[in-house]
Amino acid sequence: MTETTMQKTREHLVSAASSEVIIEFEQVNKWYGDFHVLKDINLKVHEGERIVICGPSGSGKSTLIRCINHLEVHQKGNIVVDGITLNKNLKNIDHIRTEVGMVFQGFNLFPHLTILDNLTLGPTWVRKMSRTDAQATARKYLERVKIPEQADKFPDQLSGGQQQRVAIARSLCMNPKIMLFDEPTSALDPEMIKEVLDVMIELADTGMTMIVVTHEMAFAKTVADRIIFMDEGDIVEENEPEEFFNNPQHERTKEFLSQIL
Amino acid sequence: MAIVKAVKTSALPAPLSETSVVGWMKKNLFNSVFNSLLTFVTLYIIFMVVKAVWVWGIADAVWVADNRRECFSINPDGACWAGIFAWVDNIFYGRYPREELWRINLGIFSLFIWLLPLWLPRVKAKISIGLTAVFLYPFLAGYLFAGGDKGIFMQIMFTAAIVCLAANTIHSIIGVLIGRSLPEFLPFLLGQKNVNEKNRRNIFLGVLALGFILVYVWQMNWNLEGVSWTKWGGLFLTFVVAGIGIASALPGGIILALGRRSEMPIARALSISIIELFRSVPLITVLFMATTMFPLFMPEGFVLNKLTQVIIAVCLFSACYMAETVRGGLQTIPRGQFEGGHTIGLGYWQTMGLIIMPQALKNMIPNIVGNFISLLKDTTLVSIIGLFDVLNMLRAIGKDRTWLGLHIEPLVFGAMMFFLICFAMSKYSRHLEVKLSTGHKH
Repeated sequence: MTETTMQKTREHLVSAASSEVIIEFEQVNKWYGDFHVLKDINLKVHEGERIVICGPSGSGKSTLIRCINHLEVHQKGNIVVDGITLNKNLKNIDHIRTEVGMVFQGFNLFPHLTILDNLTLGPTWVRKMSRTDAQATARKYLERVKIPEQADKFPDQLSGGQQQRVAIARSLCMNPKIMLFDEPTSALDPEMIKEVLDVMIELADTGMTMIVVTHEMAFAKTVADRIIFMDEGDIVEENEPEEFFNNPQHERTKEFLSQIL
Repeated sequence: MAIVKAVKTSALPAPLSETSVVGWMKKNLFNSVFNSLLTFVTLYIIFMVVKAVWVWGIADAVWVADNRRECFSINPDGACWAGIFAWVDNIFYGRYPREELWRINLGIFSLFIWLLPLWLPRVKAKISIGLTAVFLYPFLAGYLFAGGDKGIFMQIMFTAAIVCLAANTIHSIIGVLIGRSLPEFLPFLLGQKNVNEKNRRNIFLGVLALGFILVYVWQMNWNLEGVSWTKWGGLFLTFVVAGIGIASALPGGIILALGRRSEMPIARALSISIIELFRSVPLITVLFMATTMFPLFMPEGFVLNKLTQVIIAVCLFSACYMAETVRGGLQTIPRGQFEGGHTIGLGYWQTMGLIIMPQALKNMIPNIVGNFISLLKDTTLVSIIGLFDVLNMLRAIGKDRTWLGLHIEPLVFGAMMFFLICFAMSKYSRHLEVKLSTGHKH
C-alpha cells in the first residue's frame, strides 16, 4: 500500500465520519427457521464510508447486507436506509432498491438481453428515462468499467471478470447512493479478480458509499475505512484496517486472520 | 528435472471415422458381425414397408373414378383416392354452404396477412401486431364465419379489426421498404418533417380514428348471410377450436402458473384447485361435462350453443396443462434473476414480464409447442360429442352411398394432414429455439 492511498483513506475517513448516517441497524435479529443468523446487530454507516465485512462462511455477512435492500427480511429490530425505515410497505422497498445498487457473487446479469439492454433496463423502466438518454448513460459507465466494445454482446459471451464489471455498471446506471458488494470476486478465476477490484477501487475514489463482503484482504487494507468481522451472526470486532490487521483484539479475529494471512 | 516445450504441437487431421460417410458407416452400422446382421435385417424391413405403401398408395392407386365400384373395377388392390378428391371440400369446410366458402378462405387469408409481419425482420412494433391479432382478429373472423345480424358492439369490434389489419399491413409494407414505422411515416406524408413524439402519436391516432369512421360507415351496409355453427365442420372447425384453445392457452396458463406460485393464499388455492381439477380429468370428460352439465348451472333461459361450450372447455383444459408447463419453465430460472431485477428497482410485474417470463418461455418452447400439438390432435375428440370436425367428416365418407365402405383411405389422408401440420409446428419450434438462443454457439 502506498503512502498516498493511506493518506487519502485517512482524510476520507475524517470527512465520512462527520457526514450523515445513511444506513442504520438497530438491534436487528433474523432467523432462518430455527437458525438464529443475525444476533442483535447494531451498525451505523455514514455517507461516503467504505466498509468491508469479513468472516468465516455462515457467519451472516451476506445476510446482513442483503437485509439492506430487503432481499432478506429481518424479524426483529429496525433498519433505516436513507431515512426510510424498512417494513412491509412495498413502495418504500421499491424506493430503497432504486437507491441501493447491488453486485452479486454470481453476477446475475440477464442472459436474454444484450449488455446494453441489461444496463438500460432499470433506467428506462424505473427511472422513466428516454431510451437515447439511458443508452448514453449506459455507454458512459461501460467506458468507466473499461468494456465499451462489448455493448452489443450477450452476457454468456463475456468472461467472468467482464460480466462482473457489467454488473457493476448496471447498478451504477441507476445512479445509486449506496453500493453493496456480495463477494464480488469469489466466483472469478484468479486472473480476473484484479480487473474487478480495480474498478471497485476507482469507484471508491469517487466517494460512493460502499459495503463490501469479501475475502480479498489486500483490497480491504487499501480501500476500507472500517472493517467489520462477523462470526456466528455477531459483529465480533470492528476497527480501522490498520488496527484490525496489526492488532486484532478478539480471540476469534486473531484465529481468522492467522488462517487467511 | 524441468521440462520446457520448445515447439508448439501442431493440430493433425481427424481420423476418417469422424469425417467420411464410409468411416461413419463402419463405426456406426457395421462395427461387428452381429450389428452388420441387424443393419441388413432392418434395411430389409424398411424396404418391405416402403414398397407395400408405394404399391398400395401410389403405383396401384385409383385417382379418377365416380364411385367406389368403379375404383374396384379399375384396380381392387390399390387405394381409392378418387373418393378423397370428391369429398375434399367436405373434409376442409364441413357442411358450410358452398357459395359462402370464400368467407372462410378470406378469414384464413387475413389471419395470414395479420401474422406475416411477425416474420419480417425490418418491421417494428411486433408486439403490438401480435397483441392486436390476439384481441381483434377473433371479431373479424367471427363475423366472417358466422355472419348474420351484427349488434353495435360487434360492428365496432369488426370495424376496429379491419382498421387494425389495414394499419398493420401498411405499417409492415413501409417497414420492409424504408425501415420506418407508420407513426413515423405519417407526418412525412403530410409534408411535415420535424414533429415531436407526442404530435406524431396524435397524428397517428387521428388517422386511425378517421379510418375507423370511414370503415364503420362502409361496413354498415354489409350483410353476410348467417351460417349456423351446426354447418361448421371439417378441418376448418378443428382449426377454430384448436386455434382458440392455443391462443388462450398461453395467457391463461401464465396467469394460473403465477397464481400457483403466488404468496397470496387465496390466489394460490384457487389456481391449484383449477389446475388440479382439469388436469386430473380426461378431456373427453371435460367435454361431456361442458355440454351436458354446464347448462344445468346456468340461469333459466341462458343458452350457449354447443360449440361455444366446447370451446370454453377446451380453453380451460389447455390453460391448465399450459400452467404446469409454464411453472416448470419458471422453476428453471435461478433466484438470482429475480434478485437482479429487484436490485435495479423493478417491481414484481416488471421483473416477471421483462426478465423472468422471456427466459422461462424460451426454455419452454419445446414443451409449449408439444402442448399445442397435442391440443390440436385432442380436438378431434369433439367428434364424439357430435361436432362434425375433420375426423367425423373423414368417417362420413365411408357412409356416403357412392363411396360406401371407403374407410382406410380417408383415415390415411387425415393422418397425413395431421402429420404435416404437427411436423411443421415442431420444426418451427426447433427453428425458434435456435433463433432465440443467446448463449455460446457451439
